[in-house]
Amino acid sequence: MNKNKKPLFSFRKSSQDVSDTPCTDRREFLAKSGKLALGASAIVVGGGLFSPNSFAAKKIGADANATLLKLARDIYPHDTLEDKYYVQVMSPMADAAEKDAELFKLLAEGVTLLDKTSVDKYGVPYSQIKTEQERVIVLKMLEPTPFFQKIKGALMMGIYNNPEIWPRFGYGGSAWEKGGYINRGYDAVDWL
Amino acid sequence: MSAKFDLNDDSLVVIIGSGAGGGTLANELAQKGIRSVVLEAGKRFKMDDIENDEWKMFGKISWLDKRYVVGPARIAEDFPNLPAWIVKGVGGATMHWAGVAMRFQEHEFKMKTTNGTVPGANVLDWPVSLEEMEPYYVKAEKKMGVCGTEATGMPYHGKSSHYKVVAEGAKRIGARCEQAKLAINTEVRDGRPPCQVNGFCMQGCRIGAKWSTMYTEIPKAEATGNVEVRPQSMVLRIEHDKTGKVTGVLYADKDGNQQLQKARVVAVAGNSIESPRMLLNSESSMFPDGLANSSGQVGQNYMTHTTGGVYAEFEKPVHMYKSTVVPGIVHEWKGNDPTRGHLAGYELEILHLGLPFMSAFLNPGKGGWGRELADSLANYGNMAGFWICGEDMAVESNNITLHATEKDQYGLPVPVVYKTDHINDTRMRNHAYDRSKELFDAVGALKVNNLPPYPASHNMGTNRMSEHARDGVVNRWGQAHDIKNLFVSDGSQFTSSGTENPTLTIVALAIRQADYIADQMKRKEI
Repeated sequence: MNKNKKPLFSFRKSSQDVSDTPCTDRREFLAKSGKLALGASAIVVGGGLFSPNSFAAKKIGADANATLLKLARDIYPHDTLEDKYYVQVMSPMADAAEKDAELFKLLAEGVTLLDKTSVDKYGVPYSQIKTEQERVIVLKMLEPTPFFQKIKGALMMGIYNNPEIWPRFGYGGSAWEKGGYINRGYDAVDWL
Repeated sequence: MSAKFDLNDDSLVVIIGSGAGGGTLANELAQKGIRSVVLEAGKRFKMDDIENDEWKMFGKISWLDKRYVVGPARIAEDFPNLPAWIVKGVGGATMHWAGVAMRFQEHEFKMKTTNGTVPGANVLDWPVSLEEMEPYYVKAEKKMGVCGTEATGMPYHGKSSHYKVVAEGAKRIGARCEQAKLAINTEVRDGRPPCQVNGFCMQGCRIGAKWSTMYTEIPKAEATGNVEVRPQSMVLRIEHDKTGKVTGVLYADKDGNQQLQKARVVAVAGNSIESPRMLLNSESSMFPDGLANSSGQVGQNYMTHTTGGVYAEFEKPVHMYKSTVVPGIVHEWKGNDPTRGHLAGYELEILHLGLPFMSAFLNPGKGGWGRELADSLANYGNMAGFWICGEDMAVESNNITLHATEKDQYGLPVPVVYKTDHINDTRMRNHAYDRSKELFDAVGALKVNNLPPYPASHNMGTNRMSEHARDGVVNRWGQAHDIKNLFVSDGSQFTSSGTENPTLTIVALAIRQADYIADQMKRKEI
């Protein structure tokens, strides 16, 4: 349990109505955040990762919602991949921060540093930097941090080790139960 | 029927490790009626434990005890705690291998004679020749079931799409490319089924078509009633008597209790990090630098092969994962031809990774993110590629040492692995990158990605064979120069790495060593 009741950084207050009832059911939480993300446009402004009621939204701040999703999409950018696949990685992490003070500190301080670096460099917080090229310059500065590496590692597993989207990358996954490929086109190539 | 031996039975051979070296030695000795206890640090897995899932199997079977990689090479930065990619389990690294089974070339046993002294390297001839090894290679090929060999008469696997793309590129640049000789059945053989091309050779073969001591040598050895395998038994030290002969092995059992198994002979086969580590950890007032270390070579000359990866992206699908992991090999540059700008040779081994591992190794380490990487991964289905496997020069300062203060969960000093390129390795790798690009460009590659070396599955040289006791740790039989009844039975006894994957040679040496141990025991020499 995070004993630190005081946020480690300050964000502008969310204009959204924040309920006092945290979303405690993990599945419900995921479902909610997933749904929200699906409704969001490609460029996410507000909404996305967390339900407005969630611990993460309240403690890490409503802006972190947009910031973390944009960060996730910038680390492994696949323009045709829906937000929900990034959300599926980031939401559980933000959720886990409620019970993991160290993780909370990592995320909270990381988001603060990300925005501070962005403001220093481009005069606006990360999520408001207009081009990917400029955001990548900021991210390159954060690359050595445990915050960045933690998110990168989680995304690598969450995106490229996600069987649900393997077909879209042209990867087959487990094959033994289907009899392998010996009778399923192992030798097929028609362009040589 | 598995045997059960008493801890005080001092008539036994104690074999440490159950992989290609230890597992083979146990079975070979057992077939001759020689009894042994096999101490294996890892668990015993069942066939059902083997899944077609890269990360799950990595987490399940890998040797993940604390280790450090140090030195200026990129691997120390990318994988600071994972120098080697090997297995902790019954069967050892024979679970995690692609089945590539090639014999060494003649010159690879004679690197010093072939090239003379190599500045900055510690190159030596083996005290064994190819001619002498040939009958044992035949036995090893039969035992393991290597396709494409006279020894088995078993046909090659068919040509997969991945193979065809590379073979076409090789043809266009005039390079020799052949299907790989694999210890993977293409027919029902030895009670095991033929390959059905699952594409997960490296994660453990789910159907047992690939040779692994886990389900071949070990159960066969146990069936003789001459062998007891004790999984989850981590060796702490090897004991010796006043005469300097080894007398037993102290280990921590699965409950963490210390046990001392007495022994007539001890054979060390824990792979090239653990084997020298055991000898170093067994230091005593009689052997202050560790067992069998009068030469100072225990832990030195650590070799991994000169490696790297090359993955090309094409416009159209290759679906490389629908293949044995290594369907073929470009042999063009395997000879020792200094006119190329480097000594010794390399093979380009056609090899696929699944998407999960490709995401981790295409640009490993902290900087592996961003649009270029993502775009390449989005093109995974249209990729074809190689793993470069070339001879690694023996360099004394590439070594395994013990951490001065940090201990692992068994209370043993954590191993520290120092590994960096000899200039010959760098030149060879660059040559291989360049030829690979030519090959892939010839068949229309849109982009060719060079991958740096990743954690090594081929680990060799840290208890090397030598003719003279001053130059190495063991003699031509893998017997310690200093201690008659102590043997090294794994790849750590390699004097040079060769360009070929080490397993076949480890198995051939173990078969040969079993003959020698049996003979020496009969003569009461040990």
